[in-house]
Amino acid sequence: MFDLIDPRSPTPLYDQIADRVRMAIASGDLRPGEPLPSVRRLAANLRVNPATVVQAYRTLEAEGFVEMRQGSGTFVKDVGAARRDEERGDQARNLVREMLAEAARRGLRAREVLAALRDETGAEA
Amino acid sequence: MSNAIETKHLHRTMGKDFEIRDLSLSVPSGSIYGFLGPNGSGKTTTVRLLLGLLRPGGGSIAVLGRPIPSDVPRVLARTGYVPERPQLYGMLTVAEAMRYHAAFYSTWEERRAEDLTARFGLRPGLRISRLSKGETGKLMMLLSLAQSPDLLVLDEPTDGLDPVVRREVLSALLDYVSQRDATIFISSHLVHELERICDWVGVMDAGRLVAEMPMQTFKNGIKRLRVADAPSLVSDTPFVLLARETGDGLAGGEVWVVRGWQDPMKQYFEGVGARLREVVDLDLEEGFVELLRTFRKPGA
Repeated sequence: MFDLIDPRSPTPLYDQIADRVRMAIASGDLRPGEPLPSVRRLAANLRVNPATVVQAYRTLEAEGFVEMRQGSGTFVKDVGAARRDEERGDQARNLVREMLAEAARRGLRAREVLAALRDETGAEA
Repeated sequence: MSNAIETKHLHRTMGKDFEIRDLSLSVPSGSIYGFLGPNGSGKTTTVRLLLGLLRPGGGSIAVLGRPIPSDVPRVLARTGYVPERPQLYGMLTVAEAMRYHAAFYSTWEERRAEDLTARFGLRPGLRISRLSKGETGKLMMLLSLAQSPDLLVLDEPTDGLDPVVRREVLSALLDYVSQRDATIFISSHLVHELERICDWVGVMDAGRLVAEMPMQTFKNGIKRLRVADAPSLVSDTPFVLLARETGDGLAGGEVWVVRGWQDPMKQYFEGVGARLREVVDLDLEEGFVELLRTFRKPGA
């Protein structure tokens, strides 16, 4: 789930970590009540500063996605289907923004991108 | 005490043509501080000054709240040090080297030493002289972590190690930091490695400190801008213009390297009749290279 962490990206690492967790909660990969990896384990695994992991978990807690229980760890909260859908919408929107920015860099118009998107997704769109 | 390491106007001459000049460092307690700089920029000399291995020609040093060099023994009792070149006795075995090291530190934790021995796959009976470079690197990290330091000073700790060993060594280091409130000072020219783990950076060049700031500020502050129709003379820019070059031909226009960039500054370009085509984020390495390049330019 954390494979895509990129230290070279301008997006702060804590933001990237929080984003992966949000995505996993939105998609149902992480279910209510499930524990997140401990700060110590995740920091060592990702080779990032433990403070970065703590910052990511605190952000998620402030947003209501997880609950940090003193001494026992961090757990996924039940955010409800509506919130999960909203999060999925946000993720999709971010993806499209990135795609459009990249398209602009390559001199492509939104119209052309949209046509290609329709082609690629076939009947779905 | 808010800074684990603090130097003020530190000066030291090394030989005929190198000196550490007016070096004022502040390393916040609890931070992982990346000390960056090209080879020969004075990183190792600074580390040796901090640990009392060299005497300053001028200025002051405080480490863990105590003056250096006058309070060196007390500071070193709480400080782990992994030097650039490992200093171990080749005729000792791994176990003997640990016992030898443990004797110097009242804070030595046998449990941690055993855990790390197993984790690193080090064989206690093996002689130091028979260890590979990777095993030596792991042993050096083990010795410094097992003494439970409040401050860990690492001078190019992973230089020359293969990627697998580098990962193991860094993971052990981060594992230690998540258990204890320790400050880590890492000198390195391996920029990408620091990008992951450090929350502060200091950049050295030619014996001087070029920049010192939180990692995120450093990474976000320096940008490359693609600008079209730029006026030949620019003044009163809201950002610091580090460099200005003609573009690479493909996109045309000019490339500006700026420091202190914030998004609202886009408006500046309309005001001078230019067009801002793109803002390119730089990673730590590119930012580092741009910073040094402009720092070295005469008159900059």
